[in-house]
This record gives sequence, C-alpha cells and structure tokens, in this order.
Amino acid sequence: MTDEERLQEFEARIARGEKIEPGDWMPDEYRKQLVRMISQHAHSEIVGMLPEGKYITRAPNLRQKLVLLSKVQDEGGHGQYLYHAAETLGATREEMIDALLAGRAKYSSVFNYPSLSWADMGAIGWLVDGAAILNQTMLAKCSYGPYSRSMVRICTEEGFHKKQGMEMVIRYATQGTPKQKAMVQDAINRWWWPSLMMFGPHDANSPNSPQLVRWGVKTKTNDELRQEFVDEMVSALHAVGLSVPDPDLRYDTATGHWLSGEIDWDEFWRVVKGDGPCNEERLEARRKAHDEGRWVREALTAYAQRKTQG
Amino acid sequence: MDTQWPRYEVFEKERPDWPHRNAGSVHAPDGEMALLNARDVFVRRPNCLSLWVVPSDQVFSKTIQELAEDDSWWSAPADASAAVEKYLAFQKQGQRAGETFVIHAGEVEARSLAEAMSRALETFSHENVFVWWVCPDRTVTKSEADDAPSMFEPAHSKTYRQPNTYRVVTQMQQLKTGLALIGEEEE
Repeated sequence: MTDEERLQEFEARIARGEKIEPGDWMPDEYRKQLVRMISQHAHSEIVGMLPEGKYITRAPNLRQKLVLLSKVQDEGGHGQYLYHAAETLGATREEMIDALLAGRAKYSSVFNYPSLSWADMGAIGWLVDGAAILNQTMLAKCSYGPYSRSMVRICTEEGFHKKQGMEMVIRYATQGTPKQKAMVQDAINRWWWPSLMMFGPHDANSPNSPQLVRWGVKTKTNDELRQEFVDEMVSALHAVGLSVPDPDLRYDTATGHWLSGEIDWDEFWRVVKGDGPCNEERLEARRKAHDEGRWVREALTAYAQRKTQG
Repeated sequence: MDTQWPRYEVFEKERPDWPHRNAGSVHAPDGEMALLNARDVFVRRPNCLSLWVVPSDQVFSKTIQELAEDDSWWSAPADASAAVEKYLAFQKQGQRAGETFVIHAGEVEARSLAEAMSRALETFSHENVFVWWVCPDRTVTKSEADDAPSMFEPAHSKTYRQPNTYRVVTQMQQLKTGLALIGEEEE
C-alpha cells in the first residue's frame, strides 16, 4: 500500500469514528502534533500543581485543606496519565522531563501567573479548571485512543475541581464579609484574562487547527471553545454579584452571546515565550523538586538491584 | 539526564464481575514499587478491588491492522525445547468505548510470546476485537487479597473527591432565579 492509500484509509477510519491505537499506521504529522499537544498538556498538569500547592499549608480549615490537597494530588496523577499517552507515540519520559526542566518545553501560560490570596484557590478552580474542562471534554472524543482515554478519566476526576472553586467563590461573594467579597472580586479580576488566553490564539492565527480538526484530534476551534466559556462564566459571575474585568464586554441580543473585548495578545506571546510573572519561579520549583527527590530514586534503584542480585 | 525507570502496564479490576482492564502505565524500578505507584496514580478513587502490573517490554501487542498486514511475527516457530508456561491474554473490545482499552480475556499455554499470541487468536472470539495483548503470567505482579483493605479502602472516606459533594449547580439555579441560598449545612 502506498502512503497515499494509507492516508486515505487512516482518514476514513477517523471519519467512521474509530480510534487509532498504538501500532496502527498514522501520518508522521499526526504523531508529531499529538506528541506536542500531549506532552504540553502533561507539563501543564505538573506545573499546575504549583500555584495551588503553595496554599495547602495556608488553608483556613481542615476541609479546605483536604479538598486542596486532593486537587493538587489529582493534578500530579493527571500529568502521569498524559505522559503515558505521549509515551505510546514513542516519546520517552526522560526526554519530556528533561525538556521541561531545561525550559525547552511549553506548558499552559496560565500557570505563569502568581496566586496572591486564598481567594485565588476559588478563582483558579472555577475559571482555570472550568476552561480546562471545556478543552478536555472535547479532547475526550479525540481520535487517538490513549489520549482520549486519559481525557475521559481526567474529566471524570476533575468534576470536583471546578465545583469546589465555584463553591468557594459563591460563598465569599454572596455570604462573605465586605473584605472577603473584595478579595474574591480581586481574584476574579486577575484570573479572568489569563483564563481566556488558555484557549490559545484566534482561529485565524492558529495554523495547526484545521488539520487537527480534520484528523479528529480537536472537534472545536479555539474561538468556539472560548465563546462557550465566556457565555457560561459571565452569566454565572453576574448571578453571584461579581463583575467581569472587561469594559468592552457586551451582550449581543441577535446571537445570544456575550462578546468580550480583545485579549492583550502582546502579553499572551510574552508569557508564552518565557517572560511572564512566574516562568522562572515555576521552573526553579520543578528543578528543586527533581533534585531533592534524587536520593529517593537512587535508593529505590539500589533496592531493586539488590533484590535481583539476591 | 537521569533515568525514569522502566514502564509497567497497569491493569485494574473495578467490580467483582468485571475483568482486569488496562488503565495506563507507570515507571518503577521493580514490580513491587510499580504496584505502589499504580495505586497512587490510578486509585485515588474508591473503585478498585485488585491491581496487576507487568513490565511493558513483556507485553506483545498487535492491532487488527497489524495482524492483517504483517504475519512475519509468527514466521519463526517457538523453540521446541522451551518450557510451556501460562500467558495472560487481553483484548480491546469495541471501537468507540471511551475509557476501556484492553481487558483480560483469559489464559493460554505457550512456549513464547509469539506462540501465546497465536494461541490467543485461536482460543478467543474475534468478534468486535481491535487489539490483542499477551504477556507471561510469571512477569505479572498482582496485589494480594490481604493487602486490598490497606491499599484500596482509604479512598472510600474521601467523599470530597466526588463532584456530588458540592451543591453548586442547585446554588447557581437558586441565585439565577432569585431564591434564597441553601447553606451547605442542609446537605
């Protein structure tokens, strides 16, 4: 079979809704795009533990502490599911971790913003996880079996991540003291725009999108997902008495959509390219964790070797 | 670059009437640690009764596309003097199922991975099967029934991991319709 015939068969399988599995033929570009997306997604889960992990020791009560601990622990697990999915495409764990620690790998820029108050735990859960879940629900239908299955598992487990954030924001906004209300509004103000940026560049500036849609990796475009997010969040934030930090935001009666103002794309690209408020700090924290865990890895390796040597 | 250790495929059994099914993989220096890592990575929620781990390099895998296009894997017959041993066979059944990859189909006796694959292909139904796996039973590390309470039961008390602990959908409906908010204490 020629590559052209194989490509036709591959695209026909995807059109029929079949999953592509490790071992099946796939175009090099499909493999390459998936490794790029999945490894970035895995790194995002791992780096995403940091802005929230900082607050585990600062939670105001035991229940909040348990909730936050579980959420951060899930994120570590989700990173592992995704590294596994990338490995089925030939990427190695060593290469991926090395690229992250060396600063060569990308991850979601939203985690390069600082978490400045306890209310950020609510805003991150509701906005950042809310945005991530929209993307991940789409990817759960993706044509590559291992990525799709990781996403199904992650979406099931992350149901509570968004809800615990929403619960906290609702409580502070509707029942909180004036100080708590101001704190949660400030958190929403700071996380709103980074959350909108999570969906990536506009469709017109997203060169990979059409091919990813054709190959069943994505089923919606960046702008479509972002619009879903804006529509859901604006009405919900208004319902709890909070405002959205966008002077150009308006409701379009003709389409029934909330139309947001323009994202600061200069800021977006600056943070993507490494010059965000916390890029250095995040990588430094990962390197520190990797270095400080070295003795554990060495001890386990020595233990395993001694067992095989009897 | 330091090593992340070999990969182990992880199989979990979620209900008494369900077979073990592949959940993903972990890295570990040996089977014992792989089992513990698998528990931490895949069983943060209370739906596991038993875990198996097997080194990825002990798994022989064929998709139906590979089987249709290439039979060279079976060209060399197994060493006739090799000992016959037990192999586990797994299948991916169905093409659209969201969460399930290969599930445990049963056992075959064989002298090599290739022979085990061919026995599995003879023994088990091909209907709606898309991927076949075999691995030697002796390379699998299995959780012990005695260890199940300590490994899996603590997850049961962590109800805050379940989305239905949070009443936010109702709260949001009440806020949008202008009703008074029901406090958490009324759950």
